[in-house]
Amino acid sequence: MTVASDAQMKTDAYLNRLRESLGGLKPEEIGEILEELRSHIADKAAMGGELTVAGVDAALAALGNPEELAQEYVTDAVLVRAEVNRSPASVLASLFRWAGMSVAGFFVLLLSVIGYGAGISFFLVALLKPFHPDAAGLWIWRHSGDVTYSVRLGFGAPPAGARELLGWTIVPVGLSLGFGLLMLTTHFALWSARQYRRSRALRQK
Amino acid sequence: MKLPAVPEPESPDKWEVQLRKGCLELAILAALWEGKLYGLEILRRLESDSDLIVSEGTVYPLLSRLKALGLVRSEWVESDGGHPRKYYALTAAGKKRAHEMAAIWARFSSSMGKLLGPLGKGHK
Repeated sequence: MTVASDAQMKTDAYLNRLRESLGGLKPEEIGEILEELRSHIADKAAMGGELTVAGVDAALAALGNPEELAQEYVTDAVLVRAEVNRSPASVLASLFRWAGMSVAGFFVLLLSVIGYGAGISFFLVALLKPFHPDAAGLWIWRHSGDVTYSVRLGFGAPPAGARELLGWTIVPVGLSLGFGLLMLTTHFALWSARQYRRSRALRQK
Repeated sequence: MKLPAVPEPESPDKWEVQLRKGCLELAILAALWEGKLYGLEILRRLESDSDLIVSEGTVYPLLSRLKALGLVRSEWVESDGGHPRKYYALTAAGKKRAHEMAAIWARFSSSMGKLLGPLGKGHK
């Protein structure tokens, strides 16, 4: 086994692990990422003049765990989408990838789904209220025999005995609350991705 | 299970780390000011000129984000090492952003300088 093919095998093994973790990105993006890192590893490993297996090992160690590196690319995609596009669907699509990679990503996705879901619900109820005043609204009712209350925001015939909480004020309240929640959720996703990226930005001295 | 970023009181060391991290984007744009560089050159430039010790795994995703935001563009150039290298250069938007950030930096640093002046004299 020659030094060059040994070094090649180690590089390929690393890049294959990275490729598997980058699954959700576009194939041409993945290809570009892998080519750039292959070039980086070759340059770095040959810095002393000759390509050595130890050089490749050091270059790979400096890049870090491939699964974590993949998370950095993916959280960056969240940042780009949230900064450039800001549409909930596109932010969620990128969060789905992060969620598949780490517990932190999973919780960020969960909270974002709840945030976007609640925002869109308030928005829709406010929009439907003028057309279906008896069905759209925020309803509260008491369960028979116990003291628990249920609250329903939504559309459809309200249960017997339910009381409407906001009446027509649901229109301005729902619109502003819905819009606010959508904005807040995008900011939350952006903030989380940024925190993750920053936590890994600098090397320990 | 730990969610990213748990707020906790900052030590001076941590504060320094936060400060450095906040400057990373400006540092990369500034490193490209004089012309195109490839990833490893950018890393070396940051280390030699600014003692920002950037983790290698971070600079590549960051460069691809700057590219997606339209602040830098990239091209592959054949090298004498036998493999192509991906060079980055500032776009017009990137130059503008670097200028704006540098101006903010200069303003902030000079106003802090005034405020911090007495500290240097008093503490010997």
